[in-house]
Amino acid sequence: MTFIELLEQSLPLLIQGLKLTLELAFISLAIAMVLGILASLMGMSKNPILRGINSAFVAIIRGTPLLVQGFFIYFGISGLLNIRISAFLAGVIALSLNAGGYLSEIFRGGIQAVDPGQREAARSLGLSARQTTWRIIIPQAVRICIPSVVNQWCITIKDTSIISVIGLAELTKVGQQIIARTYRSFEVWIMVGVMYFVVIYLLTVLARVVEKKVSLDD
Amino acid sequence: MTSSEPKVMIRGLHKYFGKNEVLKGIDCDIHTGEVVCVIGPSGSGKSTFLRCINCLEEPTAGTIKVDGNVMDAEAKNIDELREDVGMVFQQFNLFPHLSVIENITLAPVLRKRMNEDEAKKVGMELLARVGLADKADARPNSLSGGQKQRVAIARALAMRPGLMLFDEPTSALDPEMVGEVLDVMRQLAEEGMTMVVVTHEMGFARQVSSRVLFIDQGIIAEEGTPDEVFGNPQNPRTKSFLNKVLEA
Repeated sequence: MTFIELLEQSLPLLIQGLKLTLELAFISLAIAMVLGILASLMGMSKNPILRGINSAFVAIIRGTPLLVQGFFIYFGISGLLNIRISAFLAGVIALSLNAGGYLSEIFRGGIQAVDPGQREAARSLGLSARQTTWRIIIPQAVRICIPSVVNQWCITIKDTSIISVIGLAELTKVGQQIIARTYRSFEVWIMVGVMYFVVIYLLTVLARVVEKKVSLDD
Repeated sequence: MTSSEPKVMIRGLHKYFGKNEVLKGIDCDIHTGEVVCVIGPSGSGKSTFLRCINCLEEPTAGTIKVDGNVMDAEAKNIDELREDVGMVFQQFNLFPHLSVIENITLAPVLRKRMNEDEAKKVGMELLARVGLADKADARPNSLSGGQKQRVAIARALAMRPGLMLFDEPTSALDPEMVGEVLDVMRQLAEEGMTMVVVTHEMGFARQVSSRVLFIDQGIIAEEGTPDEVFGNPQNPRTKSFLNKVLEA
């Protein structure tokens, strides 16, 4: 089989896998963004219990491998509760929790990186705490966060490959399946790698455009 | 000085940062139309004193009243009370994500003092007054330090405050830009604005202020007219401070 033939044969399958990868990443990241915002708010709360929940959450996510988190949710929890959850759902839960933990730290860092003088200036003009947060702090924090958030998106897109171990036929799993049939490791892993690379590259280009657009320097 | 109710009334003001007592009991009245310059060594508590007036710092003990209203950071009406007290910061603190004119119109519109058009009109007038009408659509980061500080003054004035606080407004500026900011402040003083100015500009304090407070080690160590404080200081600490800064 020539490389071209291999490509022709594999591409439709790989694109199927890529679709699942992107679905998994997109849904997980959407949930993770919301989760991250909520967790970061808890982390900055005056309530010590909420702060404690946030730091425990972040510590667990940071302190354990995603692979273990995925196994725990797919086999551990479903076994304990004696329920069956789909590999896709387990993957979404694991990836959202994982990315949510990291994003909450990114958001908290971004908000705390805004110069305290900004809040003081806004309050001195009579703006309420809420107006100050939404009109002054958040718009600047978002700009500060963009590079780190995009970085986390890239990581999570690639981390979907780890979820292949619980049997989800995403891009990496499809690659393995093709290799099992064709024994063409070298070429297939290149194809798989290129597909991840293109997605991430497009994302970073888009991010750079956005970053430039909202930059505070004239 | 008028005999009416003072604009600002400060009684028994103490402020601790942790165990460090920065203000050790300050009593002070500031009357409408007064320009009070606050001088003193760094770390003496001058800025803390100023920041207590609009409750950016919460006093540990004592009361501060502006127009007879108690300033309390936890009070419901604190935002309203702050609308009447403009503040200019050493580091300008312009909002970098907004244009110059948006910096000025934000608070009047959000606080419903003016509608968008009126706020813009007032904002343009204020910018013209500080000599920056051509910078309305610029971003703060494209301005020089002196220009930033003049915009910051215009931003504070847009709320039509009855009192303006200046926290070392020229200390972060290159020397050649100090004059343009002091000129705006001088003009403001001549128009009768009530001002409290923490400053190291002794020339300005001497010429413009109606009263000088010398704060040292957390208390008002001496106060009087500029002529009294600069010309004939009574407290040895005032003398030694003035010797040091005027020599330099």
